Amino acid sequence: MITIALLAFSLTVSEHAMTCAQTRVAAASAQISFRQLSEAADRARTENRDDEAIRLYKRALAVRPEWEQGLWYLGTLHYGREQYADARDVLRRFVALRPDAGPGWALLGMSEFQTRQYSRALDHLQRAMAQGMGDRADMVQSAFYFAAVVLTRLERYDDSMSMLLRMSSLNQDRQMLIEPAGLAALRMPLLPGEIPEDRRNMVRMTGEAVVSLQTQHYEDADQKFKQLEAAYPNEPGVHFVYGAYLMQLHPDDGIREMKRELQISPYHVLARVRIAEQYLQQEQFDQAMPLAQEAVQLDPRRSSAHMILGEAYVGKGDLTHGIKELEIARDDDPMETRTHWDLLRAFTATGRVDDARREKEEIQRLTTQAAAAHGAAENGTPGDQRAPN
Amino acid sequence: MSLVLPLLAVLLAIEPDSSINSAKSFEQIDKEADAARAADRLNDAVNLYREGVRLRPTWGEGWWSLGSLLYDEDRFPEAEAAFRRFVLISPKTDPAYAFLGLCEYETRDYDLALRHFRSWATAGWPGTPQLIDVAVFHFASLLTRDGEFVQALYLLATQAAKMGENPALTEAMGLASLRIRNVPEDYPPEHREMVWLAGEAAAYAAQSPHDFARADYYADRLLSRYPEQPEVHYLRGTLFTFESKTAEAEREYRQELRISPQHVSAMLALVNIDLGNNHLSEAESLAKRAIEIEPKNPEAHHALGRVMMATNHFSESASELETAKRLGPDVASIRSHLAMVYGRLGRQQDAKAEADAYLSLKNHEEVLAPQENKVRHASVPEPPK
Repeated sequence: MITIALLAFSLTVSEHAMTCAQTRVAAASAQISFRQLSEAADRARTENRDDEAIRLYKRALAVRPEWEQGLWYLGTLHYGREQYADARDVLRRFVALRPDAGPGWALLGMSEFQTRQYSRALDHLQRAMAQGMGDRADMVQSAFYFAAVVLTRLERYDDSMSMLLRMSSLNQDRQMLIEPAGLAALRMPLLPGEIPEDRRNMVRMTGEAVVSLQTQHYEDADQKFKQLEAAYPNEPGVHFVYGAYLMQLHPDDGIREMKRELQISPYHVLARVRIAEQYLQQEQFDQAMPLAQEAVQLDPRRSSAHMILGEAYVGKGDLTHGIKELEIARDDDPMETRTHWDLLRAFTATGRVDDARREKEEIQRLTTQAAAAHGAAENGTPGDQRAPN
Repeated sequence: MSLVLPLLAVLLAIEPDSSINSAKSFEQIDKEADAARAADRLNDAVNLYREGVRLRPTWGEGWWSLGSLLYDEDRFPEAEAAFRRFVLISPKTDPAYAFLGLCEYETRDYDLALRHFRSWATAGWPGTPQLIDVAVFHFASLLTRDGEFVQALYLLATQAAKMGENPALTEAMGLASLRIRNVPEDYPPEHREMVWLAGEAAAYAAQSPHDFARADYYADRLLSRYPEQPEVHYLRGTLFTFESKTAEAEREYRQELRISPQHVSAMLALVNIDLGNNHLSEAESLAKRAIEIEPKNPEAHHALGRVMMATNHFSESASELETAKRLGPDVASIRSHLAMVYGRLGRQQDAKAEADAYLSLKNHEEVLAPQENKVRHASVPEPPK
């Protein structure tokens, strides 16, 4: 009945209605065409006919530009064929539609790494890590690796080192971590592929020492640090790395190495911070103070320098200046628990009860957060693990 | 009849193919697009703007919004197309040229991007402070690629003074300082350490106040690591020149000429030093060599003109300076020397004209530099309604 009624109607349609109908017919043929194309594309992909699959996915996406699955597979195919710029452009469209898809961000970040857009790559890899990448172990490992090496390239050495150490404790491929760890430890803003050949040995020796230490091969680490220092006594960064290692076991030797680093690298902020920190532990506040002041002067944006200077002031009994520096450190790096503890003690000593309470609450919050993050990391990747399909 | 029945079957079978009802009026779509954008429903907003510009291709605000949304999602090829349409139809397009340049940079259409950045600069660097920062950085990178190293460094130095340490700026400054005609995304990986060290040196020298001590530290590291690489000694010499360490600068420029015998900039730097030291014979020979190598370089003719003036060959000096003026009409200092030499030749009217030109050009000499007053009064990048 309906068909007859429609038929009757269709026989009396106006020109306008005919135009509409033609448009819908075009859409319908597009629909059919899309179905055929998408099926053919999937078939070509599963049969490893990649070039044909790419061509077919592109055609299907021309018909239906927001076909998520098509965008994802086209992106992965381009990536697999090392067509990184194409992969990147397709994956950007994909994540615009599926901002919840961690693997999409990961593959996008890796594509951007390959097209040398490091800042964007890092943002997107970090987003992938925050959202999770499901059970794709290879992808998780790659995303961590790329993020760590990009952090070094962007001169965020400490963040890079934290990631690398975490990776090494998760039993990731040790060889893969050596050059990135060496670069981060020596504070050289290079990718492994950018290491000059005459530097590679130094970088590798450093990385091997650091990774050995992290994986608790202490004798091996000790030997490698000594070899490094003997082989490259005049290279920037070497005494700092060796000093940082010694600082834990033989603080005076650590200080000696850090001072040698300062002779080679007179603007080394962190060497000053580490020596000052050691002096603070030994309650030698007068010796810590000028180093901490220099560190702040050289790098006013480094929160750890403000923290150490604040601790030095507090140690000397100058709570006013101490609190001021600690507050700068806290505002620059609110996640650093040690600064909150420092402030808690300083506020308590000056009777600023409300401020002290606030710091205490912040410490509790950060501690809980850190425990949760640790638990999540132990169990794999956190967050929504839905994979695109 | 037989045609109608399959048509009906198709009509009944198809699904709605779009979330946007084509029966909606343009006004409705405009309103809904803005609402979607305000509510952060970006995909809906993109689709609605697309539909809006399809219905009304002259809708400038629609193209602008579409371009901006796509740009924010790093979808540069699509954003580029939208901005391109916007500049075609909108009377006030200045900030759009910056966005267009940025999109073209990302899609690696570098020549076109440079052209659009130049249009943007000529229009007075309009845009929000964030847009200006990003656009200036990319503009400078393209100037480096185009061999306009001094202009690139000038722009990057203004950014470095404002932003302080920044790895991306450092890298761009390293490339410009070493005169490597590449953008940061495509230079040879084996040059990375050299570019980093050069960039650190340049960036610290550009800080406000100048941190020459740290600049020297990195420049010395660069020199000790790469003593035989072209451009390294020239950079070191330039830093010494900034620090008014003329003897050290001279030594480095000579080293550069040993490594790069055709290095015109090093020759001209030495001419400058020679003029100060009254070593006019060498100055003349270097300036002439520079002209031989780069006959269209206004600074080479400028240098020879100055040498001729110093040796009291005023007619020859005027001739060289006139050539320099023809090749570099907006270089103020050429006009100033031309005014001087015309004065010596007793051509007072010409001297006055050149002096006036000098004064007028002096304030606009750095035509590519983001002048503070321009930046301060720049319009925000809002589309014309």
